[in-house]
Amino acid sequence: MVNTPVIDFHTHVGRWGTSHMDDSPEIFLKLTDAAGVDKSCTNCIFYGDARRGNDIVSRFAREHPDRFLPVAYVTPRYPDEMLPELERAFGELGAKFLKIYPTYYQKPVDDPGYFPIFEWCNDRNKVIMCHSSKVAADDILTLPLSFIPLAKRYSNITWVLGHSGNGMLGQEDAVTAAKECENIVLETCTSYAEHGTIEFLVEGAGEDRVVYGSDAPLMDPRPQLGRIATSDISDEAKRKVLGLNAIRILGLEN
Amino acid sequence: MGEVDLNFKSSVPTFDACVALGRRFNRYVRSDTLEGLITTMDRAGVDKALAYSPHAIDFDTVEGNELLMQQIAGEPRVVPQFVGNPTYDDMDAFASQLHELAVRSVRMAPATHRYPFTDWVVGDWLEWLASENLPLWLDSKEFDPTQVHDTLKNHPDTPVVFSEVHYTQAAWSVPLLKSLPNTYIEISRFVVPDGYQKLIDKVGIDKVIFGSRFPDSSMAPPLYALHRMNLSDEDLQAVCSGNLERLLQGQR
Repeated sequence: MVNTPVIDFHTHVGRWGTSHMDDSPEIFLKLTDAAGVDKSCTNCIFYGDARRGNDIVSRFAREHPDRFLPVAYVTPRYPDEMLPELERAFGELGAKFLKIYPTYYQKPVDDPGYFPIFEWCNDRNKVIMCHSSKVAADDILTLPLSFIPLAKRYSNITWVLGHSGNGMLGQEDAVTAAKECENIVLETCTSYAEHGTIEFLVEGAGEDRVVYGSDAPLMDPRPQLGRIATSDISDEAKRKVLGLNAIRILGLEN
Repeated sequence: MGEVDLNFKSSVPTFDACVALGRRFNRYVRSDTLEGLITTMDRAGVDKALAYSPHAIDFDTVEGNELLMQQIAGEPRVVPQFVGNPTYDDMDAFASQLHELAVRSVRMAPATHRYPFTDWVVGDWLEWLASENLPLWLDSKEFDPTQVHDTLKNHPDTPVVFSEVHYTQAAWSVPLLKSLPNTYIEISRFVVPDGYQKLIDKVGIDKVIFGSRFPDSSMAPPLYALHRMNLSDEDLQAVCSGNLERLLQGQR
């Protein structure tokens, strides 16, 4: 056993009964304690009303400031609300970065409806994590390669590809995107989890541009963390993926 | 700071209940050889693996099962599991081959092999499996849970392992296990929060079986998670190998 910072880049709060997802800080912390996670970057992307989701995240972060890092959420379905809510989430609520989920919005990630969000974040050097996936022919809203032109156009943003494209096809494109753009980072959580995924991502994007995520409490953080801990990469690379990279990217204190 | 085991190996005897061995026709997998499997088992501290042929699922059971036996020849750590197709295979010939090769478990793939899991299709096979205490593996993407429930309730002596149960199937998988006393669950895809503990609490420690779904999933992560549950050594060993060993020996 080693003691090393562990930052979970990809977690949620909010009830999601259809997926049996609880909404309790106690249950969440019991899971992360068992896994050995120090801090969880937490978003709530389940509502049409982004303000409601961000308020739930803020409650978790206020009650346990040493364990939850708030992550903002806005929806392009309500364009008039986007920029004021970004101001509120990153200002008053202290968000560390923004999460967007085009699959829920049913708008592809390069739809012009997002551009005001991207411009706001680009002007302020923010981090955006976006779901990314390429696992089936109709899975087209967050194709990893579509982040290349976005990362070039909005070059002050650090783009984190949630799930690193999910299955192997998506992983290959995610690595291509990361090689093409230095401001693209890959996040690890997925329920596909093919053998050799972590090794492939670290080899392709470099050990400084892969971050651990779990999707907790939709998924248990222990198997997801175990994917990093048991992978065939160096111990130093594991420590970077588990937390040191997130600390650097988000400007956290180590 | 988080306490993490960066050099993890299973601490108890471990037997992986869900491994596919061989090439796929429609995609590349990062390990498709016996050598790759053994290397991965050694890294994870896995003693034995129960393996089936994906060719037997995707194309032909006879050829796929033969391919499997050729691939694992001389390697006692890999235990063969045969795929059977009740709509195409001759049951008596299949049974004779199992006896001859000392194969102790069977996998069916109703969806891929295009048949409903109903008594009028699989009933005689289920009776034969029960007569020899041979456990049947069913991948959860291969069946309709209502069909499986209604069919298996008429065959209570046939042991059945539901494998690769996905977290999105949590809503029905636990009630299905609870309603059918002679069923078990392999945990490779059951990644719901605290899912292993919930299974142990709801269906019993003796019904929960470690499997990885290698190489479609990594082998070590579910083991790593099991070792972070504060289970007693006895319970950990039951999940990691004891329950599977018992089933393959024809015991409940």
